[in-house]
Amino acid sequence: MKKTSAQGSEDPILQWVTFRLDNETYGINVMQVQEVLRYTEIAPVPGAPSYVLGIINLRGNVVTVIDTRQRFGLDSGSVTDNTRIVIIEADKQVVGIMVDSVAEVVYLRQSEVETAPNVGNDESAKFIQGVCNKNGELLILVELDKMMSEEEWSELESI
Amino acid sequence: MSRPTATASRPQLALQSYLDGLLQEAAAELADVIAPIAAPVVAAAPVRPVPVPAPVAKAAPAPVDDDAISLDEFEAAVLEEQVRDARLQAPPAAARPAAVKLERPTLVLPTLEMAKPVLMPTLLVEQPAPVVEKPVAEKPVVLTPPVAEAPVVASVVERQIHADMSPTPPPLQLSGQPSWGEEPFECLLFDVAGLTLAVPLVCLGSIYPLVGQELTPLFGQPDWFLGILPCQAGNLRVLDTARWVMPDRYRDDFRQGLQYVISVQGYEWGLAVHQVSRSIRLDPKEVKWRSQRSQRPWLAGTVIEHMCALVDVAVLAELIASGAAKRLTSDGRVH
Repeated sequence: MKKTSAQGSEDPILQWVTFRLDNETYGINVMQVQEVLRYTEIAPVPGAPSYVLGIINLRGNVVTVIDTRQRFGLDSGSVTDNTRIVIIEADKQVVGIMVDSVAEVVYLRQSEVETAPNVGNDESAKFIQGVCNKNGELLILVELDKMMSEEEWSELESI
Repeated sequence: MSRPTATASRPQLALQSYLDGLLQEAAAELADVIAPIAAPVVAAAPVRPVPVPAPVAKAAPAPVDDDAISLDEFEAAVLEEQVRDARLQAPPAAARPAAVKLERPTLVLPTLEMAKPVLMPTLLVEQPAPVVEKPVAEKPVVLTPPVAEAPVVASVVERQIHADMSPTPPPLQLSGQPSWGEEPFECLLFDVAGLTLAVPLVCLGSIYPLVGQELTPLFGQPDWFLGILPCQAGNLRVLDTARWVMPDRYRDDFRQGLQYVISVQGYEWGLAVHQVSRSIRLDPKEVKWRSQRSQRPWLAGTVIEHMCALVDVAVLAELIASGAAKRLTSDGRVH
């Protein structure tokens, strides 16, 4: 986790890249973000799991793009000018997640982050790391490593 | 969020619907239980299968009759609760070995060893009450026991209930009379989808207006989780009270017109309600306490005089906070 000069202190400041999905704002650890791409054509992969949109060619490397909306249990949306593919590293893999838009990088104190309610049986509830109020809105912090199960990460690797 | 008419105009319907649900749950068991229980149970049984026909709702011009019908229904429901409780408590009868093998509820809620609250909660007015003629200024107004006057909806909203006690919740008790119900206690009445619920003030935190506020939903959460409401005390997790209280009768339009969130003392949870009514003082004798709360542990009892269900919100919040709600079955049991 990216920590600023306050790294050694008891209340480190963390940096989060925020993105929008279905009118909500989510945050992911900036250290896991490699780059943000404009939407580019995604080649579907026959037989791929439903949460995989397809693959893109990123400077000669094949990167799998995950359908973030589907993963978060949201309705599918349309591609707009603001649509972005965020290239992230999670579980030692480089994958892309498609989001409605990328907003900014925010600094949050560890103490500002509240744990999320632990009441859901749904698998997707597990990758909500916490919530935080920032600039008058609620930020939902996502733990990317938990976005997939071990089996799913392995499955992704084999695509 | 302007649906109050939808619910307010059909309180009888909603109440009847809820009670009908209660009755239905006990229907299968009723025949077995009637014999060991007192005779009045037999008399009450025929009242049960009352569907909720539209004409009943339209019969509003005859309020006396409606009240009578509802009261009967309510009493019948209370009776059913008693029957169910009695059944759960009854020693294993030879004739009903299956009942003996019923899984005992495994809900183990942490017992907080706290001194019994001695102080009654006070309502502190943070802003001048809009309807009261004499200005209250910023001086805290302590509501003395029974406020059986007209509804104080508007003013209650702007009040924050500060339970002048430690922020930790009172001890939880899952059977019989809760500790706060051993002596006369104050209750707040509120309305959820036409159903009146009462909660002891000792278990309440604050009341937050929901109108104009936006709840932030979280993905992967159960359907009774409405979202997070940022408020001055932090992020309040808001639950869909109607879905908890009457899951079988739930309609999607119940989510409309929710006006307030009532937070539970000592927890980060709040109940979304349609209307806050008034506070009343209840004598424990007025409450038909549930002796066994393995099913719907949050339902402490019923108050026939006010035709309302008494909700033990502390148990409800603990049920959720402890994660036990994940194991909640559709009939309200925790497995």
